[in-house]
Order: sequence, then C-alpha cells, then structure tokens
Amino acid sequence: MLSRLTIFVLAQVHAAEFSFPPWFSHGARSLIERILDPNPRTRITVMQIREDDWFKKNYVPVRLYEDEDANLDDVQAVFDDTEEKYVKEQKEFIETGPSMMNAFNLIALSQGLNLAVLFDRRQDHVKRQTRFISRSEAKEILARIDAAARLMNFKVHTRNFKMRLEELTPGRTGQLSVAIEVFEVAPAFYMVEVRKAFGDILEYHKFYKDLCCHLRGIIWKSADKADDLENAQLMKAEII
Amino acid sequence: MWQCLDHVSLGFHHMLDFLLGCCQTKGRKYSRDIEDPETIAHDTSFSVSEVEALYELFKKISSAVIDDGLINKEEFKLALFKNNKKESLFADRVFDLFDIKHNNVLDFGEFARALSVFHPNASVEDKIEFAFQLYDFKQQGFIERSEVKRMVVATLAEAGMNLSDDVIENIIDKTFEEADTKHDGKIDKEEWRSLVQRHPSLLKNMTLPYLKDITTSFPSFVFHSRVEDS
Repeated sequence: MLSRLTIFVLAQVHAAEFSFPPWFSHGARSLIERILDPNPRTRITVMQIREDDWFKKNYVPVRLYEDEDANLDDVQAVFDDTEEKYVKEQKEFIETGPSMMNAFNLIALSQGLNLAVLFDRRQDHVKRQTRFISRSEAKEILARIDAAARLMNFKVHTRNFKMRLEELTPGRTGQLSVAIEVFEVAPAFYMVEVRKAFGDILEYHKFYKDLCCHLRGIIWKSADKADDLENAQLMKAEII
Repeated sequence: MWQCLDHVSLGFHHMLDFLLGCCQTKGRKYSRDIEDPETIAHDTSFSVSEVEALYELFKKISSAVIDDGLINKEEFKLALFKNNKKESLFADRVFDLFDIKHNNVLDFGEFARALSVFHPNASVEDKIEFAFQLYDFKQQGFIERSEVKRMVVATLAEAGMNLSDDVIENIIDKTFEEADTKHDGKIDKEEWRSLVQRHPSLLKNMTLPYLKDITTSFPSFVFHSRVEDS
C-alpha cells in the first residue's frame, strides 16, 4: 500500500517538481535540471554529463579496480615493450639478483604500520597483497611460478625478478592481473610478494589460494597461518 | 516596575545570546570542542573538504567503543586490526606519535594533523621525520640495533614466521652495514635520511593514496559542509 506521502513524492518526480537549496550554484542547478528530466528522450546522457563544465571542474576519472602502485612501473614496462625494443634491451641486459629487503623493508610490512586499512570500507578485510617465504633458489622460484601460472591459464611476463601475470580468458568480473616480485631477505631466504594489479578482489583471493596449492613445494612459510596448515596437510597426503 | 523587569529580561537574553554565540556559529554542526576545519586545513596538506570528509571517518572510529568524540587506544586498534585485543608494538608507537597532547586519546585535531603527513602531497622531509620517530622507540634521537631487532622479530611473529636468531642477526647485520655509515652501532637521523634516499620504498607506508580520494569515500561530509559550492 503506497502511503499518501509516497504518492505525493512520486507525483513530484513525474512532474519534475523540485527546488534547490539556496547555496546551489548556477552550474550545479543547470546540470541537475537536465538530469532530472522525466522525458528519457530529452534527458541528458552520460556522455553529455561528462562534457558539462560544472561536472568537469576538478574531475578526475575513476579507474575501476586499478590499484595505484608506483612499484608496478617496471612490471608495466615489460608489458608495454614492443618486440623490437625488448630484443634490443635483451642484449644490454645485465643480470642482477633479486632486490634486497633490509630490516626496515621487513618492518614496514607490519600490519600495525599500515594505516591504509583505516580507510578500507570493506568489512571483510580481504588482503590485496600477500606474501610467502621460500628457501628455494630465486631462479627456481621464478620457474615454478611461471609453470603454475601457465597451468592456471595466465600469460606471464618476466623481467629480472618481477613478474606480471594476466588472465588469458577474463571471467565475468573482468580480467585479473597480478604482480609478483621476489626479494632476497637473507642468504637462501626469499620473500615472494604477490599483489593484485587489476581486477576483482575475490577472484584475486581465489587465485592466490590456487597459486599456493601449485607452489606448495617451494613455500617454506607463508604469512597466513591457515595456509601453512593446509600446506602441511597436503604434503603429508602426498608422502602417503 | 514592569519596565524594570523588561529591561532585566532583555539584558538576560542578550547575555544568553552572547554566551551561546561564543560556542556556536550559525550552521555549524560540530560540537564546541572540535577545531575549525579551516584552521586544520591551513596547518595541513588537506583541503577544507578533505578535512570535513576526514571528520566523517574520525566520527566512525571514535564512536566504536565510547561515543565521546575521541579515539582511545582500543578504538584505534579496532580500526587498524578489526580486533581490539591485539597487542601490537607498532600500533602503540603510532598512537603515541599521533597523541601530541599525551593524554592517551586522540582528538580530531591530533588525528588530522598526524594523518596529514601521510597525504601524497605532504613533504618527503616530513615523512622521513615521522618514520624516524616511529622507529626510534626510546626517543633517543637515534635508532639502536636492539630496537631494530625487536621490531623485526615482532613483524615476523605477527606474520607467524619465526626465523632463527642467526638469520635475523644476518638481516640486521646487512642493514646496519649499509645504513650505519658512521659505524657506531646506531642509525642517526642523517644516516636514516641517506638510507631512505637510496631506498625510497622504505617510505612506502608513509603515504596513503586513499587520502586523495577521501572526499569520494566519505561523501556524507557534504551535509555538514561549510564550503561554498563553486
């Protein structure tokens, strides 16, 4: 049963009867008037909204799902390289080891020092970035990730000890893209950081769990205690 | 006589107006203890709209346990870990650094001013300074090796990763080799500054890109906004 008030409001909407509070600027009023047009034929389109002067003021287009991260520059460069440029650079390529993580890099990973979560409106606290430690050789780690990624239907770009994985057949939620980097923490101790670059967070979470399954042979300790337990159980099952 | 009373009551009303005027300005929805957003914007890297949006976040965090317009340590940990029982060396240190007045609670002024350092537009010098103070637990003006070890162990323990003492010593050795250019077993501000210049990633957690988008994350600030729509 619609209340009288609701009927009244609906009638106002239908007749485009509304008024602006006094502090609304001229630009805002004119745009809103064009939006609140009951006639869909004369109503402003999204394209036209984007062209509106008032709308354009200080407007920065939102990039859905993309995570800003300066560290991805190198990895992006791998993807952007044209074949020519890549071949040329290969010749000048001097092999350097994985970047070193010093004590302060490690400390900075602590949850207590990452205030970004204060702004995280998601209540489920799903992590966008995950890491594990491996005691295998750095090159071996790269090879194993490469193999796992291909099995999971991802395209792999590698430069130095940075990798970018891209889903070959994007699902309903769009294409998932992941950045991976291997750091040396101490001799024979490598920290592998896996980070979502683009795509749906839940898809990423699923991806990470699958990846860890494939990589369980090289994961020595993961940041997630639950992962460790799972790995241990899986390894036990294999021996039997 | 009635005229006399009229004058008295008029006087009384004027006095009330005067008293109320001190505490409220027209249209302001903030309690009288909240600092003027314009003052905060002036002192920080935030715009007035950003300060107002930040206030929405502050209200959310500060009302979680006790609705008193202040963030206590429990509410801070709740916001950071979604768990108010978690013991954290770092959360305690961050809270202490935010708490300029040293009264174990954060008012909005302290909250906004501290977060200002994390704004992408804040100066790198401020970030270097804040990070240094963060790691200088004992506030001695230098970072001791024992403090670094304590922090590394705490970080690894938090992640459930317990590396052997040898490995940890090795990590710290290498760090000090590079950072401690004066070879005195401590890292002073100068050494810290040059370390950070060589490894900018060390300041990564000193910048919160979200602060730039805060007006879109907390759009309800417009209901209380004093900013003229232009």
